[in-house]
Amino acid sequence: MSIATADDPAVEARGLRRTFKGGVEAVRDIDLRVERGEIFGFLGPNGAGKSTTVRMLCTLLPPTAGSAKVAGVDVVADPAEARRRIGVALQEIGLDPVQTGRELLELQCGLYGIQGSAARARAQELLELVGLTEAADRRTKTYSGGMKRRLDLASALVHSPEVLFLDEPTTGLDPASRLTIWDEVRRINAGGTSVMLTTQYLEEADQLCDRLAIIDAGRIVVEGTPGRLKAQMGHDVVSVALNGADVESTKAAIGELPGLERVVVESEALALYVEDGPASIAEIVRRLDRQRIRVGGIAVARPSLDDVFLRSTGRRLEGDEEVAA
Amino acid sequence: MTEVLLLGRRAVREVIRLPEATIPTLFIPLFFLAVNIGQVSKTFPSTTPFLHGQGYVGFQLPVSLMFAVCTATSGLALVTEIDLGYFDKLLVAPIRRSSIIFGRLAADLVRGIGVSTLVLLVALAFGATMRSGVTPNFVPFDRLSPVMEALARANPVSYVIEGLRSLVLQGWVPGKLAICVAVIVATGLGLTWLSVRAIERYDR
Repeated sequence: MSIATADDPAVEARGLRRTFKGGVEAVRDIDLRVERGEIFGFLGPNGAGKSTTVRMLCTLLPPTAGSAKVAGVDVVADPAEARRRIGVALQEIGLDPVQTGRELLELQCGLYGIQGSAARARAQELLELVGLTEAADRRTKTYSGGMKRRLDLASALVHSPEVLFLDEPTTGLDPASRLTIWDEVRRINAGGTSVMLTTQYLEEADQLCDRLAIIDAGRIVVEGTPGRLKAQMGHDVVSVALNGADVESTKAAIGELPGLERVVVESEALALYVEDGPASIAEIVRRLDRQRIRVGGIAVARPSLDDVFLRSTGRRLEGDEEVAA
Repeated sequence: MTEVLLLGRRAVREVIRLPEATIPTLFIPLFFLAVNIGQVSKTFPSTTPFLHGQGYVGFQLPVSLMFAVCTATSGLALVTEIDLGYFDKLLVAPIRRSSIIFGRLAADLVRGIGVSTLVLLVALAFGATMRSGVTPNFVPFDRLSPVMEALARANPVSYVIEGLRSLVLQGWVPGKLAICVAVIVATGLGLTWLSVRAIERYDR
């Protein structure tokens, strides 16, 4: 039996591994620590191992090797206690379409030992929290995607969990619904619940997470706060839209630009990693003009998490395309 | 126990809200009751010894009742739930996994009682009478060919139907009823144990 204290981290995993039948290694020896009160993001493309990791931490999937604790409780040794301490909203929205929103929340309360008038009051409170009071007595099959996601989130909160796991909470939602979910996650976190979420959206990780880990092919490749990860890139990105211009001629024309770290060829554009983006633009324009090369446009951007992902994995996350230097 | 009641109440609510799922379970036993009576009752008038003075409808009623309770839909509902993702929600709740099975069985119990009652009422309207209160499917064991008789005797369902049939045709026959109950209890325990075992070991 685990002896958990409030000082234990929200999530702690050591050497966590999951190998599926056929030898597919979905998660490879992950070490992870999520502090209490954090919103921690797990960023990666489809198939990177995000959901498998979350399923292991939620006691839905036994690890092949390694250990994991949530709120100080070992998920393998004491899964029942771990379940009492966590709330889970998985990628597949887990709702019963035949029940109403209110019925589902009251049932969920009952499964966590909250019954009678306390369950009714808690369900009402959560319906108000996620803005579903008007739809509360309709069957969930009539809900929109955003409403279903919000109800699923509410059902993960009935017992005020110490740690909330959200597996791709905004996948498939329109931008407005996505912002609503972000607000709700921030509000839940402000109430003291630690949050671990997986996402494949850079903006979501950037906007929502205090800290994040980038996972690729089952391994964590880099970890830190979004600001620090971007700052570590130490350069700006000047994007030159080719607009039909020849790649090699354009690269040759720009040549050895002062402060240029490297050039990445993307589809229809060159990404120039330079020390000082704004100061480089004039020189780039001069050099292209000298060679009479016409390009579509030139833009400067601060490093993004996508650049962090690119440097860590050799691929971009958005568009999930291979690029060559 | 509370969690079984909660999950059972949800499943029963589902039965009430989805009558289209129950109608086939009612249609099949009634259809076979009507067809079998129509075809065979003239061959076996109530003077036939094994009918104990009843019409053939009394002999067929237990078969229809078996149809009524055996077309349970819990398994299908559970598969749908796994597909929809709600099953995972239940798995991460701090409840015994077996309660998911027992909650679903509660719905089958309610549906079974409801459908059986309707089948019983229809059979009474067709002229069946109760000696006590209710397979060889169409004829007794000794009327079957040797091979069919051997197969029928090896089939545990036969003893359930024989027990039910004894209630309809003969009244209380302790020997037949004891075997009937034993088969129901053994089959129920065995299959429930397999279901609970499967769900306890469930992981994707």
